[in-house]
Amino acid sequence: MTSFSQIWTILKKDLILELRTREMLISMFLFVMLTMVIFNYSFSADRNDLTAFGGGLLWIAFIFTALLGLNRSFAHEKEGGCLDGLLLSPIDRSLIYTSKVLSNFIFLSIIQIITIPIFTIFFIRYNYFPMIVLFILGIFLGNLGIASIGTFVTTLAINTKRRDLLVPILGLPLMMPILWLAVTISGNIMAGPLGPNTLKEVVRAVQILALFDIVYFVASYGLYDFVIGE
Amino acid sequence: MEDIEIKVSGLKKDFGRRKVLKGIDFSLKKGGFLSVFGPNGAGKTTMVKILSTLEAPTKGDVTIAGIDLMADPIPIKKKIGLISHNPLLYGDLNAHENLRFYGVLYKVDDLESRIDELLDRVELSNRRYDYVRTFSQGMTQRLAIARALIHKPSILFLDEPHSGLDPHAVDILDGLLDDIRAEHTFVMVTHNLEKGLTLCSQAMILDGGKIVFFEEKKDIKRNKFEAIYKKSVKGEVV
Repeated sequence: MTSFSQIWTILKKDLILELRTREMLISMFLFVMLTMVIFNYSFSADRNDLTAFGGGLLWIAFIFTALLGLNRSFAHEKEGGCLDGLLLSPIDRSLIYTSKVLSNFIFLSIIQIITIPIFTIFFIRYNYFPMIVLFILGIFLGNLGIASIGTFVTTLAINTKRRDLLVPILGLPLMMPILWLAVTISGNIMAGPLGPNTLKEVVRAVQILALFDIVYFVASYGLYDFVIGE
Repeated sequence: MEDIEIKVSGLKKDFGRRKVLKGIDFSLKKGGFLSVFGPNGAGKTTMVKILSTLEAPTKGDVTIAGIDLMADPIPIKKKIGLISHNPLLYGDLNAHENLRFYGVLYKVDDLESRIDELLDRVELSNRRYDYVRTFSQGMTQRLAIARALIHKPSILFLDEPHSGLDPHAVDILDGLLDDIRAEHTFVMVTHNLEKGLTLCSQAMILDGGKIVFFEEKKDIKRNKFEAIYKKSVKGEVV
């Protein structure tokens, strides 16, 4: 309960700061919308139907948007030396990690809640609403994986001069399994009716993705004490 | 032995090949005030960062209030406060929100009245709902003092606390230090010889990661102290 309240205190602070400054959300939103506009003009032959490769395109937009957000996720802590303020506090450093994972997860989810309906209306011909629960589960697990490993990598890079470069260089290879599984889930669901074999493949991908999330979160949680503040 | 608050033995810190601290040994009694002087790059801030749990030492032992810093830092964090040239405050939170944030992390009892008391003490009650980014440097530093004291620490680390302060803020800081002097232990890094020597019970000069001077205030001969200090600041081998 105590740990929960400390996580909530840090998370609430991040949400308040973002609501006041909107630095991260606005840049993420503009980036993802720009990507979709480019998609629209790039696929001129069938510009209104990206059903077949919707999942892949969606996650291309999300991953780069997430990297943009991750690079900003410790911006408030760097200003005024507030990271030292957090590290001085008598809290387990892993709780800082957990709260940062949650805030990154929430910010990416906000962007997705806005952009997925827009993307679907403009580019997807198939009505995948009957599979919406599985679709949302795939998005949820994909986000969690990106936030877990992304927060860890961002912390590793936080005190380096080339932070903006290091986060994608270190993070993208680690995120590849997450992306592959998330694209498999979203892509298959968006592409059309799921046959028994495809459904099985999607469910299997959900299970493996959940496993990756657990492994990434637990490993990062355990190692966080060694990477933050050093 | 029981009244030793801070004990440091064989403390070393390397950043890659650069040896910043080359073996520091000292102890400070409960209620003591150690002023640390030395040129830039002497390792003063690194030492304070290690003592305040922000950096891990490469080698050596640090015991604070009888607790091994490396083995169990969380209880130590509850006992220490840090005032540095960085305010450790969020510019887009107001003064009250900043103190509340840290107060909750430190699990301060009766937090609202503690915040009121501290804001009164640093004369910022009328600015409690203003964002910190709208504060002057002196006001920000006054709020940083309140932040450092929110959990009633018994040991205070001060890293050049007077730098950038206007005279009014210096008076407030000195007044606060006077008020809490009796029941606190202090380690202050400073370039201000007058202030440092006036406040201290012990004085230390660090140079090149080593202690080149360490004496009780009553034993300090001002001429000898100043000669060593000037040599170290000028970069001469002491």
